Amino acid sequence: MLSRLAAERATGVLLRERGTLYLADGEVVHAESPATPGLDVLFAARGVLDAEAWREAVAAAGARRRVGRFLVDSGRISKGALELCHLGSLYDAAYFALGPSSTPTRFRYGAAHWLGPVRPVPVAALERETVRRRELLHRIWPDPATDTAPLMRSRLAAGPSVPLRQEAVLGRVDGVRTAADVSLALGRPAFHTLVDLRRLAAAGLVTAAPAQPPPVPSVLTQPSDDPDVALLRRLRDALEAL
Amino acid sequence: MPGIDECLLEAMTLPGARGAAVVDWTSGLALGTVGDAPGGDHETTAAEAAELARLAAEHRAFAPAAGSDWSEETPVEDLIISNRDSYHLLRFVRTTFDSSVFLHLWLARSEGNLALARIRLGEMAGRLVLG
Repeated sequence: MLSRLAAERATGVLLRERGTLYLADGEVVHAESPATPGLDVLFAARGVLDAEAWREAVAAAGARRRVGRFLVDSGRISKGALELCHLGSLYDAAYFALGPSSTPTRFRYGAAHWLGPVRPVPVAALERETVRRRELLHRIWPDPATDTAPLMRSRLAAGPSVPLRQEAVLGRVDGVRTAADVSLALGRPAFHTLVDLRRLAAAGLVTAAPAQPPPVPSVLTQPSDDPDVALLRRLRDALEAL
Repeated sequence: MPGIDECLLEAMTLPGARGAAVVDWTSGLALGTVGDAPGGDHETTAAEAAELARLAAEHRAFAPAAGSDWSEETPVEDLIISNRDSYHLLRFVRTTFDSSVFLHLWLARSEGNLALARIRLGEMAGRLVLG
């Protein structure tokens, strides 16, 4: 479907289970996924652009769908920073959007994103990169469990050889957070987190948390008698019998 | 104000420049390329250069002495590789958001000036992010 849309130079939005791709003249200009932090989160993480700056930019240029251009022209960010960050987030969201889907894909013609074009990516390049990324993860550590499950640290102590960026990921692993939560907390592209988690899994430092067992009926778990009390009673009885 | 393309085109004005790229070293993706690549394939070159950049950025042996605060930033400035006919210069780009990006410049050894290229590439990396 995507290659057909590219061939007919379509403009609109492709809606898939795990993300959306915006096309303009058959090229991908923007991508979003619930699994990845958006451009706003990435730029807010180190205080480059706060919520107020985004509101101002969307109010000024959202209707014209030129918010990206406005941010650069008004001096809030450099053109290079916008291109690097946006391109990174586009490939990041596309990796998840183009992943396996259990719902039908839909395309809405004509829709455009308020950010406006930054650096359009050909559909073929995006699809090729998505396949390459899947293979990269598989080469590092073939078990995909850490991609989606809640994560926990193993009992192995992390040695001094854990690189800084992996250490930051490891620090956010708490038995509850998933890879997507860790990415959001760090303001870092989600695929980067998947790569670091596979490396940490390969080093035996992180595993997927086991699924919670169903709760056992409380009748079965209540002890009929406290074993310690029973032991103490037997000891007392034995002492008294001496 | 330079974007990715302007930055790469400027890199190509250096004496002996054969090709240049902006690469993400976590994924191995080339975010932008210009000129030639060794073997004619920018994507393969980017993936291979990314492996090398990752090792340099992640191993503490190459970090500056303890005490300097490089938290979450790459501790290495650049990597230089030379062979019989060319130089490769990899310059890490410090960004104002979380990233793992470097500039890769491929120079012909006969015409290239490594010292000049190293200084210029550092300036370009700074301008790319700060404008």
